[in-house]
Amino acid sequence: MGRILYITIAFACLMFFCGTSASAQHEKVVYAVAQVQSGEVDKAKSAIDSAVTDPVTSVDYETWYLKGYIYKELYRKYDASSRGLGYRNEAIAALKKSIQLDTAKQNLDVNRQNLRSIAGTFYNDAVSFMDTTNHAKAVQYYKLFKETMLLGDPQFNFEKRDIEFKLALATQYTKLYDTDRKRNESFFALTKDLYSEILKLDPNNVRANYNMGLLFYNQAVNIINEMDYDVDIFTLSNTQDNTIVLFKQSLPYMEKAYELDPGRKETLIGLSGIYFSLNEEEKYKFFQNKIQEEKK
Amino acid sequence: MKNFLKKFVILLVLPLMSATTATPPSDTNAKVKSSYIMAFTKNIEWPGTYKEGSFVIGVLGSSGLVDELNRMAATKKVGLQNIEVKTFSSPTAVSKCHLLYVAPEMSNTLKDVLGKIKGQSTLLVTERTGMTKQGAAINFVVQDNKLKFELNKNNAQKYNLAVGSSLLPFAILVD
Repeated sequence: MGRILYITIAFACLMFFCGTSASAQHEKVVYAVAQVQSGEVDKAKSAIDSAVTDPVTSVDYETWYLKGYIYKELYRKYDASSRGLGYRNEAIAALKKSIQLDTAKQNLDVNRQNLRSIAGTFYNDAVSFMDTTNHAKAVQYYKLFKETMLLGDPQFNFEKRDIEFKLALATQYTKLYDTDRKRNESFFALTKDLYSEILKLDPNNVRANYNMGLLFYNQAVNIINEMDYDVDIFTLSNTQDNTIVLFKQSLPYMEKAYELDPGRKETLIGLSGIYFSLNEEEKYKFFQNKIQEEKK
Repeated sequence: MKNFLKKFVILLVLPLMSATTATPPSDTNAKVKSSYIMAFTKNIEWPGTYKEGSFVIGVLGSSGLVDELNRMAATKKVGLQNIEVKTFSSPTAVSKCHLLYVAPEMSNTLKDVLGKIKGQSTLLVTERTGMTKQGAAINFVVQDNKLKFELNKNNAQKYNLAVGSSLLPFAILVD
């Protein structure tokens, strides 16, 4: 940061606090600003921690804003790689306090900008945690993203992000389910719930329709593939009944995906597989022909 | 102070990746048919002379069922007998089988097949409407999306095959 800027800010701060009867207390704030300017965030932290406990400066929204900013910088310095929460939580609390004290909304925009910036870090962390091991953390951080983003932008429309997040999470749940279908049986229902939630938000979401259809289809195929050849005839008949229900559950979602994007190869393959498994030869052939046409 | 701090406000957004993969294409119908065939072998009694050597399942015509039957043969037995899968391209090529599955496209050769297996104890399994009327003991049919089977007990008895009672509740009985 340039020296001219540093002087400008220090001067601005001094001017801000000039004329008050407690200039000694305000010196801590000015000092903290100067330390931030010099990249000395640890020294800035000591100064601002002291300022927020001072009866004079603790009632000033600028003090809390500065604390929020300094703690955000501390997060960047110490917590960013470990995705820790401590500094960010402190920063959010300080920025909220600043908004609360700033009754004239003088600093509202920058307070919110900083909150949005912190929200962005939570979102990025949620993305980086999105795998089969850390999916719970991804959920936790996405929740933090939403909470913080609402503070930074009360009108923020989460729909697109929610859909993306749920699709990504459903992918991880599906992977877990496929890894060990008996031990991870609960992930089937969780995945189904996620796709249902997405389709409530966006009934015309091609991927969610396709994936939901595929979820039921794969479930049926897996049941048949895992069936022992010398299963007794009673169980064989029941297994057929159960899988027919699943194939039929799969169908409307896959049909919807086809309606929304008739040229999508995966959907055509999915539909041909469903109709084949339902012994509907004509429809199976229809989609097989479509697949061949798409190849040309 | 506001302008200076604004400089640091950057909202980063990384893309979330999502992809769901299909279970590898699978002939589920062949698996179900193979399991039915296995059930037939357990619920139908062959004459004693047929209980030695391999239990031969013949397939007349080309069918996705062959691969599935071979997988079954690799791990299962009929009683103490190993399962051997034989494929035939025409009725004249058909040799001694315990069970002969006639693929739908070969149904029009049924008369020749019946001539070929005459005097043997071969369970004839087909997959086309009306085949039990023409001599097949068992015929796969689809009803309400479900693979079922017609059973003509008389046609089985003609080949000295005794149908167990446990098969009957699941069969569509045909005279």
